[in-house]
Amino acid sequence: MSVIEFKNVNKYFGSGSAKVHALKDINFSADKGEFVLILGPSGSGKSTFLTIAGNILSPSSGSVLINGKEIATYSNKEREQLRLEQIGFVLQAHNLVPYLTLKEQFELVDRVKKTGNLSSADLERLLAHLEIAELKDKYPNELSGGQSQRAAIARALYTDPEIILADEPTAALDSQRVKKVGTILQVLAKQQNKAVITVTHDLRLIEQADKIYELTDGQLVQKK
Amino acid sequence: MYLALKEIKHEKVRYSLIIAMVVLISYLVFILTSLALGLARENTYAIESWDFKRIALNRDADVNLRQSLLTTDQINELKLTKNEALIGQAPIIVKEKGRQKLSATFVGLERSQFVYQQLKLSSGQLPQTKQEVVVDDSFKNDGYKLGDKVYFNSQTTPYTITGFIKNAKLNVLPVVYGSLTAWAELKNVGPNFAASGVLSKDPDFKVTDPKLQVTTQKALIDKLPGYSAQNSTFTFMIAFLMIISLIVIAVFLYIITIQKLPNYAVLRVQGIANKVLIQNTIGQSFILVITGLIIGALLTLATALVIPANVPMTFDLKFLSLVSVGLVLTSVLGSLIPVRAILRIDPAQAIGG
Repeated sequence: MSVIEFKNVNKYFGSGSAKVHALKDINFSADKGEFVLILGPSGSGKSTFLTIAGNILSPSSGSVLINGKEIATYSNKEREQLRLEQIGFVLQAHNLVPYLTLKEQFELVDRVKKTGNLSSADLERLLAHLEIAELKDKYPNELSGGQSQRAAIARALYTDPEIILADEPTAALDSQRVKKVGTILQVLAKQQNKAVITVTHDLRLIEQADKIYELTDGQLVQKK
Repeated sequence: MYLALKEIKHEKVRYSLIIAMVVLISYLVFILTSLALGLARENTYAIESWDFKRIALNRDADVNLRQSLLTTDQINELKLTKNEALIGQAPIIVKEKGRQKLSATFVGLERSQFVYQQLKLSSGQLPQTKQEVVVDDSFKNDGYKLGDKVYFNSQTTPYTITGFIKNAKLNVLPVVYGSLTAWAELKNVGPNFAASGVLSKDPDFKVTDPKLQVTTQKALIDKLPGYSAQNSTFTFMIAFLMIISLIVIAVFLYIITIQKLPNYAVLRVQGIANKVLIQNTIGQSFILVITGLIIGALLTLATALVIPANVPMTFDLKFLSLVSVGLVLTSVLGSLIPVRAILRIDPAQAIGG
């Protein structure tokens, strides 16, 4: 069973002559252990795809299943709970609370999700693996772009989610850093058995991806 | 509260400025309230110290003790008991060689009656003869001391100060307590007039004479010249200050919350509930206002210690606590305004940056 599945998903915005068909009959699935790349230019529907996968927006038609459960009927509270417990987000910017140190970002999670988070030892291992263990007392504005991105990945993984949704995780990084982030996401999928879904227009990540989709004008086509 | 405290700790300058604003507002409210209360009390200290329930006055005096005169016949008809006391009020100018003239209110009392017997002196002793008086403590500030001889109006016979009384003020003027005989001389009334009014401790005290009227202590205070107008002015000033405080605090909190919305959108994406963000916003307002109020109260206390004695300020802890509760409620109310913005956060905004 796929951990996340889209069945004939359509998404419309606006109405009348201003109506936009953002996602067109999307069928998609991802399993644990897979690093999935969704490529597409700006305006292709990548962000809409991610917000629906992240249970932030509902599709206009079709269904989204997480672990086989249809989520359209979930209440707002259940959706929040789902995002908190089963989905980890790695966003382009502002992913970390600016006035919390890296250590405090995890403390905040502990306050809203009391159980099921990584143990101290696991967190230490994760931070060491991401090479940011020594930055625990730093604020986000004291981190470099690459360090911030890795801190955001650690934050997303801290709740031990089954699905990681990454939005342009390599934006504004040089090629060396892109490769490093790609490797981290790939290793994450394999070693920690997560479904890692990344939307990006950065072609430098394709070597590491298990599956590649291309999203153009709301239509999703599998390329690998 | 976790996010609130961490943010305040990290953004020290920004939140110090907001606390400074609350300090200034609370300091202004405390000082203005204390001034208003002080000035109000300077009108009423003496009346309140007389500890009476009812007062009989000449009906034509329009509840003004200074304008009232009761004849000896009227007093005799009243059949006074130990619960009643005669009182005479007259405006005077106090003079002594080498000193500035002072405006004061002379209050004549009967030694055998309860008002005289209840006078609490801060120093000295009660007057025993017609030419002896006790005066308000403010005379001390002008250099008067026990045993000094003073002259009233155009009289040539001096009066001796035998004692001082704390807070003996009537309609803002210092009070000089003496005998009813001295009052009659200062008022220039003949032997047919016995007093300005009759105070009674009996809440059921009544008169039958249609030329007299009985009223309460509160009514007497409310009719003091300028008292109601002055209190209304201060009440409106404080009320408007509170409303302006509400607006200023609400605007600041709103701006701060709006600036945080992108961060809140990310937290919403991560599954953090609105409830947590709202609690954080209200909690933060609470912390800022309580801190500001405490510093404002300490500043007020420091001011109370250095302010000159002749400035009419009264620091009533109970009243200032009520004002503080009002300011806290006001600010919590103000912090509810940005809650709507939090509830309307669209987490989708955080995606696609």
